[in-house]
Amino acid sequence: MHLAPTQERWLAAANRTQRKAMEILQAIGDIEGAEDLVAITSAHVSGASYKMIGDPGLEFLEDFAREGRVAVPTTVNPLGTDMAQWRDLGVPAEFAEKQARIAAAYERMGVRPVYSCVPYELGVRPALGEHVAWAESNAVCFANSVLGARTNREGGPSALAAAIVGATPRYGLHLDEGRQPTIVFDVRTRVRGIGLSLLGLFAGEAAGDGLPFFRGFRASEPGLKWLGAALASSGSVGMFHLAGVTPESRRARTRGLPIVRVSREDLDAVRRKYTNGEEADLIGLGSPQLSAEELREIAALVARTPPRIPVWVFASRLAREACPEAVAEIERHGGRVLADTCLEVTLLEHRFSTVATPSGKGAYYLPSLCKQKVIFDDVEALLERYA
Amino acid sequence: MKLTGRRIVGGRAAGEALASPVPLSFVGGVDPATGEVLDEATGCRGHRLGGRIFAFPHGRGSTVGSYVVYGLAKRGVGPAAILNTRAETIVAVGAILAGIPTVDGIDVGGILTGDRLVVDADAAEVDLPDLVAKPVVSAFLRSRGKILLVRRSEQVSTFAGRWSVISGYLEGDEDPRERARLEIREETGIRGARFRSEGAPLLVRDRGAAFLVHPLLFDVPRTAVRLDWENVEARWVRPDEIEGFDTVPRLQEAMRSVIFTPPPGRK
Repeated sequence: MHLAPTQERWLAAANRTQRKAMEILQAIGDIEGAEDLVAITSAHVSGASYKMIGDPGLEFLEDFAREGRVAVPTTVNPLGTDMAQWRDLGVPAEFAEKQARIAAAYERMGVRPVYSCVPYELGVRPALGEHVAWAESNAVCFANSVLGARTNREGGPSALAAAIVGATPRYGLHLDEGRQPTIVFDVRTRVRGIGLSLLGLFAGEAAGDGLPFFRGFRASEPGLKWLGAALASSGSVGMFHLAGVTPESRRARTRGLPIVRVSREDLDAVRRKYTNGEEADLIGLGSPQLSAEELREIAALVARTPPRIPVWVFASRLAREACPEAVAEIERHGGRVLADTCLEVTLLEHRFSTVATPSGKGAYYLPSLCKQKVIFDDVEALLERYA
Repeated sequence: MKLTGRRIVGGRAAGEALASPVPLSFVGGVDPATGEVLDEATGCRGHRLGGRIFAFPHGRGSTVGSYVVYGLAKRGVGPAAILNTRAETIVAVGAILAGIPTVDGIDVGGILTGDRLVVDADAAEVDLPDLVAKPVVSAFLRSRGKILLVRRSEQVSTFAGRWSVISGYLEGDEDPRERARLEIREETGIRGARFRSEGAPLLVRDRGAAFLVHPLLFDVPRTAVRLDWENVEARWVRPDEIEGFDTVPRLQEAMRSVIFTPPPGRK
């Protein structure tokens, strides 16, 4: 892979950690056949929950943070618990202590201390055509599809290396050609609410590591968030197009591609397939974290139909702080609004065994990452069921 | 014998091979404290990575695997070198962070646990000093999408009774294509075979012996076959039917290197 003169000069003056980071990018570039590195305007790193990265991740991050500093604005994924509420949640002290050390290591590197999987709802909104290096599959899908920014599906270490260098290898979704669809989904049924998560799980399975082109419905930005999150869970998908809605859909070439027709029955089958529990002991809302607006909607629903089992709502700290009334309403009915963490990277398995959720991403990952059974349905239906 | 690949992380190492025929996730597949292999499917379960040259096709699973590789090296229980068929990001990043000499593009399917290896990652070379591999050509003959399989007679010295393709030893620095044409004429009587493609050489092991197989693809104008003494039976089969035959080792891999066949389950 070729380095630009400015990158060569940067490397000549680099410290040991910067050289390691550059070595990582060069190796990935060589493996993926990239010709050069492209400068990025932001990075989003995954791998902050102690539950997910364990002692190996903690050890690496503390070592790397000795001299590693990010060169571009960098955000990071949710932690394994809410550091303000962990005692109330029954989280072991050792877990919380190690979690705090992970957060501290990221903060030493200059990462913005907002632990979120929805950087795009926190003001990080790269523009059409802007190159970034994001990990966290739902954020990658949103950035590429909805914003028209360009990022591959980075892993935690590669996004961190890109953050330190300020560049990423130019291949895959950074190139025009890599953003063309590979499969068309003709949606013949109305999709809204949980329907977008159902469609995402369905299409992700069918698309594999391809790039879906949807047509037949419209959706707003919050809807596309849930579609992309589910899509990127059941498939290795980093981008989709929605005809007439997403910014690059007009440039997409669909002639000759395989077409999959999606019916109401297909989506109902997905709901049944991902439901394997019978009685929930927790309603989990989030994954991805809810926006302030979504938090207010949930508060209104909970006030109307108060549940008899706990409701845990996951949001960024900014969203939580933006709507104290909604938080108070949810807490009044026995729920919790947890910040800086998210549904499947948090510790659930120490207290619960079956989680009810409307999140497609949650339904996909809860069994493996949290050893939970799942009841997968609309939030309204779940609240009524557990009223 | 020497194998050449691509340098991922520079450096040198010598040691005994630990070889897995299947891809490995370092998360869950290896004990991060001791370097003991936990994954049953690797055939290496219970072995420790420390000081060994770890050969496996490629990494898989969570990107946290990179951190596990780093931690192993830091504790001094990591592999002395890593050899992959095709490096991917997880292992490459881990090896860079850990400073473990790593080479990919190596035919790890031909390396066995216990082989003595010398790795020079700077030169992208792997030496198996105890191994002498006889070079062999394996010619896949194709006609109307079907491939010719022949069953080896009981009189041949290797792999008697197994199904194979037309093959023969290379002598000196003979051109594999020329040798293949000669063998095709001798073993099948077919003339006018047209060369189509050549795959990467594969190392095939059989008890003490080793063969470096050069896979070649030829299109032939007719399907009538006149066998000589080396083979006792001939059959034209579709490429996806080969797995139903008791073949010589790694024949399907050799075929896939010269004919594109979609992986199972994908359209």
